[in-house]
Amino acid sequence: MAEKDTKSLKSILQKPVKLECKDLYEYLKTRSADVLERLYDYPTICLAVYRELPEIARQFVIRILFVEQPVPQAVIASWSSQIYVKEHTAATAILGDLGVWRSAAIPGGLPAWELSATFKRNLKIALLGGGRPWTMVNVLDTDSKARDIAFLDNYAMSRWRCVLHYMVGGATKGPDGETISPDAVRILLNANLMKRDENDGGPVITRQGFQFLLLDTQAQVWHFMLQYLDTCEQRGMSLPECLSMMFQLSFSTLGRDYSSEGLSNTLLSFLQHLREFGLVYQRKRKAGRFYPTRLALNITNKNSVAISDDDTQHDKGHIVVETNYRVYAYTDSSLQVALLGLFTELLYRFPNLVVGVLTRDSVRQALRGGITADQIISYLEQHAHPNMLLHEHSIKSKSPLPPTVVDQIKLWENERNRFTFTEGVAYNQFLSQSDFITLRDYAQSINVLIWQNERNRTMVVTKNGHDDVKKFWKRYQKGGS
Amino acid sequence: MVNLLKGVLVECDPAMKQFLLHLDETLALGRKFIFHDLDDTHLFISPDIVEVLQAKFDDMMDQISFPLHEKSN
Repeated sequence: MAEKDTKSLKSILQKPVKLECKDLYEYLKTRSADVLERLYDYPTICLAVYRELPEIARQFVIRILFVEQPVPQAVIASWSSQIYVKEHTAATAILGDLGVWRSAAIPGGLPAWELSATFKRNLKIALLGGGRPWTMVNVLDTDSKARDIAFLDNYAMSRWRCVLHYMVGGATKGPDGETISPDAVRILLNANLMKRDENDGGPVITRQGFQFLLLDTQAQVWHFMLQYLDTCEQRGMSLPECLSMMFQLSFSTLGRDYSSEGLSNTLLSFLQHLREFGLVYQRKRKAGRFYPTRLALNITNKNSVAISDDDTQHDKGHIVVETNYRVYAYTDSSLQVALLGLFTELLYRFPNLVVGVLTRDSVRQALRGGITADQIISYLEQHAHPNMLLHEHSIKSKSPLPPTVVDQIKLWENERNRFTFTEGVAYNQFLSQSDFITLRDYAQSINVLIWQNERNRTMVVTKNGHDDVKKFWKRYQKGGS
Repeated sequence: MVNLLKGVLVECDPAMKQFLLHLDETLALGRKFIFHDLDDTHLFISPDIVEVLQAKFDDMMDQISFPLHEKSN
């Protein structure tokens, strides 16, 4: 019971958490050198890493790829002009971070760079061929029921939207009556995008989850896959194997079918997960062939082609907000409606239009769920109907929304934050002013002081800082007496 | 000798502070919960009351707010 109390107290005192969205470089940077070494054992991963490097770094790698000895750092520095010294330093730092090269000493004591042997070997394989055959091979005979690109795009988006829809709709079924598997739910929970409701145990969306919904699809897929990979070791799957499979998919051709023969059991179950999220298409589980979709192809690709289907039109501006707090959304996507329903009270629904109203209650409900006023406003701004930009107020200010609505949403949020609570420990009844000042200055010097008053000799330090201050006080008393 | 007390530091505007003092004096939450009245905008209170306090405060704000829109019919 006591434990539960402190837990709920913590949730009140906690500051809102921002959703971190790492790119490939940031993801790999946080892996240990050991893991990196294992990853570089796969030519596909090496190629993907190489492709993601900044241009200068790619130059460095390709120039020294076939040099069989460490290259002096001064030589590499001389390749770029002095004007670009900043870019040069950044590139060398990235290569070091990723464990692509490490510093070595050459005879004569000059510092030098040496490519990681594993990386070098496997990048050569990726570029020149050879080595083990790729686990993914083309099917020799043609598929009697071949699928075209439009079909794959459609399939991928409908699967992906199903996941998103699950997040907003909770346990309710998707538009086509599709649901997602318990495994996918576990990933969402693990990724902190959803959490178990304290009352009924059903998954509900978290504040990170809402931020996640606001990302574009490619970023969503990437973030989701990273979270998936983080838990794949627990599931008994090998991280390098899955990651290399993922990159192989991203190097594959859209609209081509590949054989799933020869894949290990781990990879087959990985493939089933990918299938569920719409990254690959498989007609039947035992079909023996699969089609990568654009979601998989775009996963590591920075300048990718977004899936162009009918729904992108809805994504680009369909919401009209009026000064009377009415919200009109021209959409028929139930995902968009569900998203809107997070913070508006929906009044009417027509085939291509939803009418809702922003009320204090509806906004407060969203705020209670951990969504911030800024997130609501930015969502409405991002999806504002082009006509909204023609209004007089939106020409004057940057936001297409009526200022009164923006202000009111912020006021509704502020109204909930009239108190700030900080857990702490109060010190008072000091015997002398000098004792007080010594202790206060110490607390201030280690940044744990949150309130103090010299007149009544009272100070409050943070909970975390309390131990340090107490220790200091004991030492101080011993020294003083 | 120094006196130590674990609790929660509350920072709020003076009006809100008076509201808290009022809740404390009238025993509206069943007991006293303010340890120290620090200054105009700061109070030091018992940590286990925070949740109740927030709920109480939400109730009050609900009472003094006026719905702009008629409930949908």
